Amino acid sequence: MFFEQLGGNLIQGIVLGAVYGMATMGLSLIFGVLKVVNVGHGAFIMVGAFLTLFLFSSLGINPLIAIPVAFLVGMGLGLIFYYTTIRKLIKAPELATLLATFSIGVLLEELVKLIFGSEFRGYNWVVGKMDLGITVLPMSKLYACIGSVLIAVLLYLWFKKTRAGSAVRSVVEDSEGARVCGINVGWAYALSFSLGIGLTVASGVLLTMFIPVGINPYMGGAYTLKAFVIAVLGGLASPYGAFFGGLVFGLIENGSYTLFAYIPGVEPFALTRFLSFVILLVILLIRPTGILRAK
Amino acid sequence: MKQIQKYFPLIPVFAAYLFMFLLAENKEGMWQLMSMLLFYCALGQAFNVFMGMTGYVDFGYVAFMGVGTYGMALSITRLVQYEFLGAWVLVIGFGLAMVMSTLLSMAVGAVALRLRGAYFAIATIGVNEGFRFLIEGARIWNGSEGMIFTADLNKVLGRETAAALCTYWADIMVLAIAALAAFVSLVYMRSKIGYALTALREDEDAAKVMGINVTKFKIIAFITSACLAGLLGATAWALKTPYVFPPEVFEIHYTIEAIIIVMLGGAGTLLGPVVGGLVYGISKYYLSIFLPGFQLLIFAPVILVIIVLFPEGIVGMLKAKTKGTGVERFVV
Amino acid sequence: MALLQLENVTKRFGGLVAVNRVSLEIEEGAFVGIVGPNGSGKTTLFNVINGVFFPEEGKVMFRGRDITRFPPFKRAPLGIGRTFQIPRPFASATVRENIAVGAMFGTQGHQLNVDRSLEVADQIIERVDLTAHRDKPAGTLTPVEKKLMEIARALAMKPRLLLMDEAMAGMHPNDIDQMVAFIKRVASEENIAIVAMVEHIMRAVIGLAEKVIVLHQGSKIVDAPTKEALQDPRVVEVYLGHGPEDEAC
Repeated sequence: MFFEQLGGNLIQGIVLGAVYGMATMGLSLIFGVLKVVNVGHGAFIMVGAFLTLFLFSSLGINPLIAIPVAFLVGMGLGLIFYYTTIRKLIKAPELATLLATFSIGVLLEELVKLIFGSEFRGYNWVVGKMDLGITVLPMSKLYACIGSVLIAVLLYLWFKKTRAGSAVRSVVEDSEGARVCGINVGWAYALSFSLGIGLTVASGVLLTMFIPVGINPYMGGAYTLKAFVIAVLGGLASPYGAFFGGLVFGLIENGSYTLFAYIPGVEPFALTRFLSFVILLVILLIRPTGILRAK
Repeated sequence: MKQIQKYFPLIPVFAAYLFMFLLAENKEGMWQLMSMLLFYCALGQAFNVFMGMTGYVDFGYVAFMGVGTYGMALSITRLVQYEFLGAWVLVIGFGLAMVMSTLLSMAVGAVALRLRGAYFAIATIGVNEGFRFLIEGARIWNGSEGMIFTADLNKVLGRETAAALCTYWADIMVLAIAALAAFVSLVYMRSKIGYALTALREDEDAAKVMGINVTKFKIIAFITSACLAGLLGATAWALKTPYVFPPEVFEIHYTIEAIIIVMLGGAGTLLGPVVGGLVYGISKYYLSIFLPGFQLLIFAPVILVIIVLFPEGIVGMLKAKTKGTGVERFVV
Repeated sequence: MALLQLENVTKRFGGLVAVNRVSLEIEEGAFVGIVGPNGSGKTTLFNVINGVFFPEEGKVMFRGRDITRFPPFKRAPLGIGRTFQIPRPFASATVRENIAVGAMFGTQGHQLNVDRSLEVADQIIERVDLTAHRDKPAGTLTPVEKKLMEIARALAMKPRLLLMDEAMAGMHPNDIDQMVAFIKRVASEENIAIVAMVEHIMRAVIGLAEKVIVLHQGSKIVDAPTKEALQDPRVVEVYLGHGPEDEAC
């Protein structure tokens, strides 16, 4: 009985973790290439969530279709913010980009609040469940998981096989050298930034497919922290590390919630969130460059 | 520089505070606005001691205010039974607020301050939430229900005094904290601490090579800033409105406002937070009449513009303009 | 007792051995050149002397004290100063304030409060002829002025040993001669040992150096009085046997 529950937990944790991991890849990509920490990360996830909500509730569009739409919207936003703000701050002290990305996040939250209001919303996308015996997995969650893995694989292929991807990789290795080789570093930065934002907004869709409730303008904050824990777990600069970090984190989060539920006198949800913060500090203390390092 | 001349920069700051106080005292209906402005000035001054002087941003800053609020709340609720203490309960409350925020800042700093720039910011991003969820999760201090201590406060001070506290004296104390924060800022700026902080802000590695123990000075600034935040929370939150509720006192919203105030006014300057606090506070006040809840929507792009085009803030630009004139020594 | 002594210092980065069992001695007041092309390990060696890196093996002794594991900020008050190849001013602070920082945290730091440090700074500013720029933000200076300030700031520390990191690269030969002569004069007046790190044989620096140490791929290959060193066949080979180091694509 216990092992069944454990097994069920593990499965749920991995499914959740894949989505979390994908949601963090954009963050790691942007840091890896531009050395910019996108503190407004969660706000972009929120944008994706609202996009899904809007498309589904108002236009009846399937969330699966929302994924590429969100991706494109994200890339557009990324380009806008890169050319208006980020580009000018690459040479500035770190504080500047930290505050800028943070402010962009705040701006997005307030804009969405203006348009959609601050109530909590959700949507109902019923596509059946999968009974695995030890646990029951809603198909929407499964789709979200598969979608995440797919996107991660696509990203991998893009880096390895395409010219643009290789160009970005060489910029990460040595931006001066890349410049000498004729690579337009500025363009590589713009592409990477918008790609990262695109991934992040798209991940908002997947997250709502996973948990289609609690959508509100300020939902991003929780995800920003989770994303940082995951990113630091996997190595802040590596998108693949982020994916695997997500898996680990999903397992930990799920497992700890179940465990805390057994302890009397505590609130498991709150304590789980406290735990993720502690994990962050512990990793930063031991090895800030990441525990799992995959490139 | 003659000894007394060193303190000239405080004159415009204290003059501004005095003016606000007098205006509030004597004009009908101004008290509420002034108390809000003083709060923002105090918040800005306290936050500036760390972010302005070191160039590091602590995204979890509000946690120190929250902890200070709890300090005061705990003092009142736990000591109310000792009637002989009377108003000393408040003094103990402030002391406890300082102790608790110092302890929290030491705990966070021990991890975070070893880290450079971006990693530091990441480490701090969850501090306020983390602490809030610890309180709620482990049901410490009443957990998510928070504490209401109006009755206790009435018992400690007597109804009339308590009422006067909430509506008048708490705000006076906020003014005092704003003045204290300004004073401490200037003392630091004029001492080796200030030089070390400027050096490490501009170029941390070069500063180390020059003999500056950057970690030590970061810690000094961090703890000072945290203490001031604790004191501010203790009075502006616990004493003005005698209840504490975890989601409210750990809201990232206040950190956002602190950032706006400091950047707008001029990070690392003495006058900056005052100017920033006034501009932000007045804007928010009037916006709340016509467009409530819009102030962040308007200020977020404002901050973006400032970061990109005017990173030195209003007072920073003022300093450049007044260089070489007689006013120079007042605009710091 | 030598002022600075390195014993079998080895520094590794992962599998790469950047500095390989280097031993050397610098006497008080000496003027020594450390020479080596890119990749010879001289920057790493500097960083080990400075405290930016700790060696895996070997010892760094300063005035008889083992400072191998001292962080940089502990070495400065002992008397080790450093300038950087590309000057690193504290840009928003004035020239005067920059130099005062050197005094405040240098060897005399505990005796100097802020006001007296500023006085010390004023004296040095006069000496290096930067008085016209005294109250300007250091970031607004020209590159040459920045280099001068960099040196002045290091001198304000009243060091016993000054590590100069190619401080003359990219300057006009006349300026170089002047600056080197100035440094040599100040060094002998204040009894400061100078270790100048240069990539190529610079006539100005080498002309004044009593001793030259040549590094090649992490190891010390020559350690001799200047005249001898320059005629050493191995030195010639190091410089003429290699083409440009950089490979582009």
